[in-house]
Amino acid sequence: MALDRSVSRRRLLQWAGGATLSAAAAGALAACGGGNGSGSSSGGGTVKVIGVGDQEAGLRKVLDSYKSSHSGFDFNLSFAPADQVQTALRTQLGGGNAPDVHVVYPGNGSAMSMVQLSKAGLLADLSSQSWTQKVPAGFKGAFQNDGKTYIFSPGSSMLGAIYNKKAFATAGVQPPTTWSELLEVCDKLKKKGITPIALGAQTPWITQLIPYALVPGTVYSKTPDFDDKMAAGQASFADSGWVDAMNKYLELQKKGYFNDNPNGTTYEQATSMVATGKAGLAVQVSAVLSAFRAAATTPDDLSMFPFPATDVAADNWIPAGVVVGIAVSAKSKKADQAKSFLDYCGQQENLNTWAEAVSCVPLYGDAKVDPALTSFLPLLKANKAVPFMDQRWPNAEVQPTHFAVVQQLLGGKTTVQDALKKMDDAYRKGA
Amino acid sequence: MPAVVVYALVVLYPSIAGAGSAFTDWSGVGNAKSFVGLANFKALFQDDQALGALRNTLLLTVAIVVVQNGIGLLLALGVHTQIKSRMLLRLVFFAPVVVSPVMVAFLWKFVYNPAPDAGLNAALGALGLGSLRQDWLGNPSIALWSVAFTVIWQCAGYSMVIFLAGLEGVPAELHESAMVDGAGTVARFRHITWPLLAPAVTINVMLSTVGGLTLFTQIIAMTNGGPGYATDTLSTVLYKQAFVYGKFGYSTAVALVLAIFVAAVSFVQIGYLRSRETTA
Repeated sequence: MALDRSVSRRRLLQWAGGATLSAAAAGALAACGGGNGSGSSSGGGTVKVIGVGDQEAGLRKVLDSYKSSHSGFDFNLSFAPADQVQTALRTQLGGGNAPDVHVVYPGNGSAMSMVQLSKAGLLADLSSQSWTQKVPAGFKGAFQNDGKTYIFSPGSSMLGAIYNKKAFATAGVQPPTTWSELLEVCDKLKKKGITPIALGAQTPWITQLIPYALVPGTVYSKTPDFDDKMAAGQASFADSGWVDAMNKYLELQKKGYFNDNPNGTTYEQATSMVATGKAGLAVQVSAVLSAFRAAATTPDDLSMFPFPATDVAADNWIPAGVVVGIAVSAKSKKADQAKSFLDYCGQQENLNTWAEAVSCVPLYGDAKVDPALTSFLPLLKANKAVPFMDQRWPNAEVQPTHFAVVQQLLGGKTTVQDALKKMDDAYRKGA
Repeated sequence: MPAVVVYALVVLYPSIAGAGSAFTDWSGVGNAKSFVGLANFKALFQDDQALGALRNTLLLTVAIVVVQNGIGLLLALGVHTQIKSRMLLRLVFFAPVVVSPVMVAFLWKFVYNPAPDAGLNAALGALGLGSLRQDWLGNPSIALWSVAFTVIWQCAGYSMVIFLAGLEGVPAELHESAMVDGAGTVARFRHITWPLLAPAVTINVMLSTVGGLTLFTQIIAMTNGGPGYATDTLSTVLYKQAFVYGKFGYSTAVALVLAIFVAAVSFVQIGYLRSRETTA
C-alpha cells in the first residue's frame, strides 16, 4: 500500500464533490473541518496536534516537557469533542491535510480506529521505535495491524463504577462484589433518597458502558475466545451472554435504580449527579475520573470498584481497554519531528506521566497507579480483564448500532432479542 | 460570464464528479475504491435505518409545511394591522429566524430538560399541568415532534414575512368594495385575500418542503438522530454513513437519491401551485 501518495487534484475534487452533494442535500454540512490552516505553512518546526478532551491532561504535559527539552520543537495543540472527531478529522484525512499528530482509537471498530486508518494508508509506521517491543502480547491487536505498530497509547483504562463514598456512607453500604449485592446496595441508596446509578444515555457513548461492564462476566469469563468465535461466524450476540447482560441492564431500569429519563440526560448531568452525591455511582471508565473529581467539592469523595455482573465472584471479570491514543499522519511534512515525539512518549517516565494524568494503568512497567483503581489490579494480574468490546469489532457500524439499540431498549421501543439481532446484522456487514 | 465559470468549477463539476462515488465502495479516506454498480442503491432500499429515516423525513416535512405555514399565515394576518406595536410584533416574531439553528437547538435543549423542575416541565408544573411533563427529547415516541416544534418555532417568522409581503400586495380597494357589498371578514379572506396570496403560498410551501426534506442541523444538535433511530432523517443518515460508519460511497448514493427526491417533489409542487395561481 502506497503510504506517501499525495492526493491528486481529481481525487480532492471528487471528494469535495461528494461533500458538496451531501451538503446540497443536507443543507448544512459545510464548515465542519474547523481547521485554521496554519499548521502546514508555518515551517518553523510547529507540529500540529489534535486530540480529544479526555487526552488533554496527559498529552499536554508530555508535549510541554518534550518542548522544554528540545529547543527547536514547538506545537500547536487543539482538541475536538469525541463525537466530532470522526467528522472533522476524517474530512482532513480525506483531503490530505490532516494534522501531523492526531487522535486515533486503538484496535478496530470505529471509523477513526487504528485498523481502519492504517488500512487506508493514513498512518505512519512506528514499528522501528523501541517502546513498541514492550507492548504486552494481549494488547498487540490494539496497537498493530499486519504486524506493524501505528499508534501510541499510554495504557489501559479500567471500566467500573465510579462511586461517591459519602453517598455510600449515608446509605450505610460498601462496594458490592456480586450482582445480588449490587442490587441490595442500589436498594438501600434508593431508600435514602439517593439515585443509585446516574445514567446519561442521551450522550451516545455512555449507552455502551453498562453492557461493557457486564459482558466480561456474562460472556468472556465463560467463553474467553468469544471474539474469535464471532469472527469465525460461530457465535452471535443474540445467542450469547450478551442477552443476560442486556436483561440485567433493563432490570436496573425496571427496579428504578437509574435517574428519571436517562435518554434525556447527558454525560455532564450524570457526572454532576455522582460528583455532588445526588447519585451513588455511575458506570464509567477511569479516564474520566479527573472530570468527576473536578466536578466534586471534595475530590477524595470519589473512588472506583469493579461492577459485578454475576453472583459467582470468580466470574466477575473486568473490561480494561487501551485508552485513546495518538498517531503520526502518513502525509505529515514534519513526520520526523512527530515520530521523535512519539518515541519520547514511549519512554517509561513520560508514559507514566501521561498515564497518571488520565488515571490509567501504564502500558508497561510498574509505576504507581491511581489509588481509586486498587481493587482492579488483582483482576488484571489474574488475567481476568478483557479489552473494550468494540476494539475487536470488524467495522465502524457495530458500535453506533449498539448505542442506538440501547437507547431503544431504555425507551421501551425494542426487545433484547431484536436489539442484539441488529448488532449481529451490523457485525456481519464485515470489514 | 465569470460567475458561471466559478459556479461550474466550484459546484457543478465537483457535484457531478462526486456523484460517481455513489457507484463505489469508497470509505472516504485512502485510495481503496472499487466500482460496485448499483449495489449502494439496492442496499438503500433494503436498509431499515434509511427507510425509517425516510418515514421520519416525510412526517417532519408534512408537519413543518402545514403547521409552520399555518402559524406564519396567522401571524401575518395578526400583524398586518394598523395597530401601533405592529412593527415591534413583526420584529419579535421574526427574531428567531436570524438566530443560528445550532444556537436555537441548544436553547431548546434547555427548554426540553427532562427534570421536573426545569424548562418547559417547570412551566407546566407552575400552570398546574404537571401531568403533561415529558422527557421531550429522550422519549422515542415524542422526540421527533419536539424537534419539529423547535423548527416550526424558529421558521414561522420566515413564513410570516413572505405572507406579509403577499398581504401588502392585496389592493385595499377590493376589500373596501367588498365591505360596501356587505362581505364579512371570513368572506373577504376567502374570496379576496386567499386567492391573491397564492404566490406567497407557493413560495412558502416550496421553501418549507425543501427545508423539511433536508432538515439536518437542529436534529444533529438536539438528538443526533436518537433516541435509537427515532429522529433520524435522510440527511442525518447520509451524514452518519459518511462520517461515522466510514461508507462514503453509500452516503453519496443516499445523497443522490435525496437530491433527486427533493427536485422531483419541488417540480411537482411548483407545477401544481403555479397552475393554481393562474386560475385564482
